[in-house]
Amino acid sequence: MADVASTTAVDAAHTRPPERPNLVSVGVIVWLSSELMFFAALFAIYFTLRSNAPGVWDEQSELLNVPFSLVNTTVLVLSSVTCQLGVLRAERGQVGRLGGLAQVGKWGMREWFVLTFVMGAFFIGGQVFEYAELVTHGLTLSSDPYGSIFYLATGFHGLHVTLGLVAFLLVLGRTYMTRRFTHEQVTSSIVVSYYWHFVDVVWIALFLTIYVVK
Amino acid sequence: MRIEGMIFVIVAIFFAVITPIYWFMSEDPTGTTALVLTFGLGGMIAFYFMLLSRRIEPRPEDRHDGEVEELAGEYGFFSPHSWWPLAGASAAAVVFLGLVFAWFIFIIGVALAAMAVVGWVFEYYRGEYAH
Repeated sequence: MADVASTTAVDAAHTRPPERPNLVSVGVIVWLSSELMFFAALFAIYFTLRSNAPGVWDEQSELLNVPFSLVNTTVLVLSSVTCQLGVLRAERGQVGRLGGLAQVGKWGMREWFVLTFVMGAFFIGGQVFEYAELVTHGLTLSSDPYGSIFYLATGFHGLHVTLGLVAFLLVLGRTYMTRRFTHEQVTSSIVVSYYWHFVDVVWIALFLTIYVVK
Repeated sequence: MRIEGMIFVIVAIFFAVITPIYWFMSEDPTGTTALVLTFGLGGMIAFYFMLLSRRIEPRPEDRHDGEVEELAGEYGFFSPHSWWPLAGASAAAVVFLGLVFAWFIFIIGVALAAMAVVGWVFEYYRGEYAH
């Protein structure tokens, strides 16, 4: 009898499918690594042009409003923190807030993601404002090599942030369309946070390259 | 997951060694930038896979006594068929045609892309699939 009992126990352990890495998460990480190579091309253009035309760099990088961009950068970096707080709530299965809107500690995934969205939108607004200011100073996409790569690199990054904002809306939309908060939705919110952190890290690298090192 | 992780650790180590050598021998900013970020490509996947290998139990294919039938079970939800990827690709084609020819085509393309993305993302959330 002892043998039978132990066999049953082994069988029971085997009927449960083995724990496997989440396919969507692994896929997103591999895709993000290819996105890294996309930005590698932009960084390579930047450093190539800089080494060929150092004079233009000294002159045009004076136009940059570094304190303004630093504030913008801080908002984007903090939005990664709020995004992660949202994911922690999602992993706990807490989609909405448990208290009033003013009780930040009781916020659910939705509230943190909406805050992240607002901060990301603030960053994009800041970028547009900065572009408008630089264009009035004569720096455009076709004015000189510095302008070309400045707008290409920060513009493609801005496009990524904008698409991330769309992704947040879609993830939020899904939570309102179902009665239950499903495992699939948790996965969506986790992979959107991976993307958001990635875009954030790319911006830190761009900020250090363009605004700090010049 | 450790083996998969190790493959990308090797990629990262290779580029970590090669990149400084390349820089000192050529002082070429273009290639060095590309190599630094290729190190990032390997390192990023290596980090994630190594993290996963610690978080989950060894899978049957990670163990020497693993059996094929242990892999049975539900892997996730896979769409049996869908028209939305075609709609998405067509919308992307219109967007890029718009970039080449005229802004009004671009705007139409963005509207089509928005419809395709929403249709794709919410395909199994509405109609008879609503849950």
